[in-house]
Amino acid sequence: MMTQMVLRRIGIGFATLIVVSIIVFIGTSVLPGDVAQIILGQSATPATLAQLRSELGLDQPGYIRYFIWLGDMASGDLGTSKAGGASIVSLTSGRLGNTMMMAGIVSLISIPLSVALGLWAAMHPGTWLDRVITFGTLSTISVPEFFIATILVLVLAVELHWLPAIAYMSGDETGWQLMKALAMPLLTLVIVVSAQMIRMTRAGILNVMSSPYIEMAILKGVPRRRIILRHALLNAIGPIVNVIALNLAYLVSGVVIVETIFAYPGLAKLMIDGVQTRDLPLVQACAMIFCATYVVLILIADVASILSNPRLRHPK
Amino acid sequence: MKDKFRPQSGDITLSDLDPSDRSLVENAVKKGFSRREILKIMMATGVTAATANSLFTKSGEAMASTPKKGGSIRMASNLHGPDDQLDPRLFTSTIDYTRGRATYNSLIRHSNELVPQAELAETFEPNSDASEWTFKIRKGVSFHDGSPMTADDVVYSMSRHLGEDSTSVIKSVMSSVKEWKKVGQHEVKAILHSSNADLPTLLGLFQNKIIKNGSTGEGNGTGPFKMDSFEPGVKSVHTRNEDYWAEGANLDTIEITGITDPVARVNALISGDIQMATVIDPKAFRQVEEAEGVTLLSTPAALQMGICCLKNTAPGENADFVKGMQYIQDRERIVKKILKGKGSVGNDTPVMSAHGPDFCSELAQREFDPDKAKFHFKKAGISGAEIFSAPVVSGVQDAVLLAQANCAKIGFDLQVKKVPTDGYWGAVWMNEPVNVVTWNMRPTANSQMAIQFAPGAAWNDTYWNNDRMGELLRLSLSEIDPDKRHAMYCEMQTLIHNESGMVIPAFSNINDGISSNIMGMPSVPLGQLGACEWPELVWLA
Repeated sequence: MMTQMVLRRIGIGFATLIVVSIIVFIGTSVLPGDVAQIILGQSATPATLAQLRSELGLDQPGYIRYFIWLGDMASGDLGTSKAGGASIVSLTSGRLGNTMMMAGIVSLISIPLSVALGLWAAMHPGTWLDRVITFGTLSTISVPEFFIATILVLVLAVELHWLPAIAYMSGDETGWQLMKALAMPLLTLVIVVSAQMIRMTRAGILNVMSSPYIEMAILKGVPRRRIILRHALLNAIGPIVNVIALNLAYLVSGVVIVETIFAYPGLAKLMIDGVQTRDLPLVQACAMIFCATYVVLILIADVASILSNPRLRHPK
Repeated sequence: MKDKFRPQSGDITLSDLDPSDRSLVENAVKKGFSRREILKIMMATGVTAATANSLFTKSGEAMASTPKKGGSIRMASNLHGPDDQLDPRLFTSTIDYTRGRATYNSLIRHSNELVPQAELAETFEPNSDASEWTFKIRKGVSFHDGSPMTADDVVYSMSRHLGEDSTSVIKSVMSSVKEWKKVGQHEVKAILHSSNADLPTLLGLFQNKIIKNGSTGEGNGTGPFKMDSFEPGVKSVHTRNEDYWAEGANLDTIEITGITDPVARVNALISGDIQMATVIDPKAFRQVEEAEGVTLLSTPAALQMGICCLKNTAPGENADFVKGMQYIQDRERIVKKILKGKGSVGNDTPVMSAHGPDFCSELAQREFDPDKAKFHFKKAGISGAEIFSAPVVSGVQDAVLLAQANCAKIGFDLQVKKVPTDGYWGAVWMNEPVNVVTWNMRPTANSQMAIQFAPGAAWNDTYWNNDRMGELLRLSLSEIDPDKRHAMYCEMQTLIHNESGMVIPAFSNINDGISSNIMGMPSVPLGQLGACEWPELVWLA
């Protein structure tokens, strides 16, 4: 029964990907100007345009290009970048690695931090520390990330010269050097994603705390700490995991602004560059990678909440 | 030919110079130019010998510094992406040009005054009517992979810009060349369709780099730096070529990267993460000028802030509409307020003082005159128009809004349609009746005018086809007598000024930021950071 449910989720994930592929393909096709026009820019002439277009295969009808693209992608061939001529797999793999590294470090810091802070706030509601946490998280949620990033750069890099203003990696940094090079975007992202997770953890647990079985536990004299960790947390885990999954997906695909401000060579920035150069295969590949990341993470979150919920685990 | 910029006008002291000249001289001293170079600049600005001497004494310390080896520089351009290139004929942006300059050489390079200098060509000689040019190629030059550079490589590299199938960015610029021919192992000949006395200057263009026969560049050049790594849209790393054929570079390594966000670029410069930043926005001038350890470099250049009124359709076909648009431009205010003084007033021609003696300084400056503008708009019988504007050059959006406000005062309704730069060159430019434009500075007045105003030219962006203009463009190329040549250039600029559909209220300077300890910066006005000529020239104090 449960396997069936998981399989159905995976099936829905695949269908989503196909639908997205069509939307991405159509969406990129209706952008004004074509690759040839953008590559040549101001220096385009009709002759060089026609030449470049046929070189790039842009003279074939759209639906044929779609199926060729879909087939190639299914076989793991993402095509070649139209602007640079490099294979997209080689272009994206390094960038995906960078993005994953950033997302990984941010999650390693922010998930334990926010769950801990959220729990702490839930255990001691109404105390001054709870108020500080609530105020802090509400403020950071309401402020856009580029504002946080800019303030951090102004204070920590331009004024105090403590940290570099850009996340520039020469490629051979290890450990501490790497952390220092990445400190600014890491700090920004940890602040941005933790806020939401802290609030969700706190709210989720406080919500469960008002249910009858918790009241029963309290009446039985179970210590509050044990109630929260043993009973409340496990029941609140579903929504918390979902928020964590959404934030992880954001770390992979939604960090365009942070990557741009810190000139970090991640995947989202590659996609923006791809849009600017009308490198449609590259944009499509990035969009599909992002979409796949979302689908997989949401899938994991769904399975996790099924597993943590006996009613879903053993449906009647 | 290009002996001086402008006539001397009696005794002038340093304080009499206009701010841009003064900063030019001061910058030159600060950057450690040679005494001779500075004297030359001073002659151009009209300073007396006495003033020159006092300036030398004051800056003795800076003057004493001589190039020294070592150190590294990280440069960030304003644009980069997966389309970054190593193939010279597809170079389109500063980041490509800089990598090209570090990795490859050309036959000819430009001096700060745009005089062609021999580089891989040892000598270059025209025949009597400049329809054939002979180049003696330098011996003992080798590519980074060790193979020697010969006439075959030159003929191969230069021929890649010719022919129907060529996708070269400068195909049309180089189209006056019929054929490149190998004469000997170290001698080539360019056979032209028609005379062109300016050919050597064109050979200094960013795309005219010499690569190995049969290759597409691939980072294997004869240049002062060898390429260690190259990731498009991320960065490249270069180390000094110890086997270079000339004296060679001073820096040990350079890293070339891009930071597209203008605020982030300036922050990275000020915090010392990068030592060079291209394209500083006027809004950030003060921040850069006031920051410790960084310098704002501002080089006057013919980076036009233009408005095209298409002559083949309404309203541009009406000459009085164009006149109205020209008189409503508050040129002084655009330079002073919008460009913060880092620019020069335009006279509705694409040629300006940085082009040297071909600039027609005799042509009377068109002034801001709302009454005349009102008169001409009325005569044209037009009460409103629509202008398409995108931020193609710094300040142009604000200049258009200023024109809109001034138009409103005389009862003319100028509607501004703001559009993104993205896709602008394909969808708006040369299509919408009134649109903004910019052109990078071309090395010669002739190529600057020919690209936009030659009858039937592919990029004649006002569709103004004037037979006399075409004739003059051709004739002036083979005219060797300086006076006659100047008269021809003046006639062309007067024609454009009076009859074309072009409005050019101002030129923007080229503005970059560098660390103050970088010495020996070139100031070639053809592109950012001294037209990317710096890798071989600069050193760290």
